[in-house]
Amino acid sequence: MRRALRLHLHALSDALRRIAAQPLASLFSIVVLGAAIALPVLAAVMLESAIATAAGFDMEPHVSVYLTLDATPDDAKRVEQALRGQPDVAAVSFVPRAQALAELQSRTHLAELLAALDRNPLPDAFTVRMRTPDAAELDRARSAWSRLPKVDQVVADFEWSRRLTQWADLGERVLLAIAALLSAAVAFIVAHLIRLQVLTRREEIEVSQLIGATSADVRRPFLYHGALQGLFAGAVALALAAAVAAWAAHELSVLTPDYAAELKVVFLGPMERVALVGAALLLGLAGAWAGVSRQLRRFAADR
Amino acid sequence: MIRFSAVAKRYPGGLEALRGVSFEVAEGEMVAVTGHSGAGKSTLLKLAAGIERASAGTVVVQGQNVGALGESALAILRRRIGFVFQEHKLLFDRNAFENVALPLRICGFPAQEAARRVHAALDKVGLLGREKALPVALSGGEQQRLCIARAIVNRPMMLVADEPTGNLDSDYARAIVDLFASFHQVGVTVLLATHDEASLARLGCRRVALAAGALAAGEPA
Repeated sequence: MRRALRLHLHALSDALRRIAAQPLASLFSIVVLGAAIALPVLAAVMLESAIATAAGFDMEPHVSVYLTLDATPDDAKRVEQALRGQPDVAAVSFVPRAQALAELQSRTHLAELLAALDRNPLPDAFTVRMRTPDAAELDRARSAWSRLPKVDQVVADFEWSRRLTQWADLGERVLLAIAALLSAAVAFIVAHLIRLQVLTRREEIEVSQLIGATSADVRRPFLYHGALQGLFAGAVALALAAAVAAWAAHELSVLTPDYAAELKVVFLGPMERVALVGAALLLGLAGAWAGVSRQLRRFAADR
Repeated sequence: MIRFSAVAKRYPGGLEALRGVSFEVAEGEMVAVTGHSGAGKSTLLKLAAGIERASAGTVVVQGQNVGALGESALAILRRRIGFVFQEHKLLFDRNAFENVALPLRICGFPAQEAARRVHAALDKVGLLGREKALPVALSGGEQQRLCIARAIVNRPMMLVADEPTGNLDSDYARAIVDLFASFHQVGVTVLLATHDEASLARLGCRRVALAAGALAAGEPA
């Protein structure tokens, strides 16, 4: 047990020595790897921030029910009762036509035009807040309510929230694809770097095998080397992404002071940071495994 | 300690290095393998040390059938055998101490214990003062002795040496032969290949003669 621990400590210190022996080359490859990992991380931060910003808007699905112009207050009461009877309905608010006209006059520049009309063109309406954002449910409610007596038109105002959800889904899928591609690239680069390391240590490997090193013994320092490269690259990626996110947050606050409260940059949480660095370490390990295995097979074939 | 039964070794390309070789080396025995270059001496030693596998027949070393061992088990068997390579196989970017320490590092020895053993091994071959020297700074005889120090640092029960006195002048050769004789005296099984008559006479041990990959006629197995 202690022997195995010593073997691992040896391999770790050997790998650290290898990295320190070529400080510039090691730094360069770690920064390149870190930048490759930082790209999808930044894309994820942007997507998360966009979703969080959008969530700040009123996204509760609601349905507007417009009555015909000849609807009496009694008709309105009956419609209201029908609406309140639905289980999916969270709240119903009545907007009398006079109030709608007043709001329109105060909010727009149409006051003169509206004043010129001899009667109020707006109908009584209900604004119904729904419990479900599900498009199919909302659609069913819409078609059911448009058959109620004295109901002229039902408008379900959920289109844009559905679009937003769809865009967010698409964004996540594109992000996953980019992350997968760049992860493969990182593993590939590490595999190549480790293969070069194996090549330069060919003599040592062959002599070690002759005097009793197993394949695991030969692989161990290279696996540590790859895992360390991944670990350092993950840390660099985290630092790069944090720096860019902080810069972006600063720029946003300067450019748009009015909306600063709504536009926010959401960076990775503590667990996500640990997961990122851990994933980078595993990528390095996987790349190293592929690189060292491939080169050892070639050595064996040469003999 | 070592038992060959009808062993043959063919290399890719059709070269038949050994055929029908059967012989035994008892525990604690010293045996010299003789023959011209190309007779199969090196191949026989590599098979005896678990570095290569036989194409046919069985090789049993320290009670283990080499042909039946997996790669890792075979590597671990090699740790119990000290091998002195004809071409030395020293690492030229490591100093004498590090070269000798390599087998102990592979086994995961504690650093202090390893340093003690490396010093003892270097002392045994007369290189104690040269531990910081790189192999290029050592003479041919010193490189040979460094290789021997690496072979014995693990305190193996069995030493295998391929032409340990090749390319050395007679004084150096005599010192090397005496070194192996001293290992034999403390109970280590020694199998070495040589075609140097002076060394053979000085060793005075049993001989196994190879000719064209087979045991020479009249040789007592």
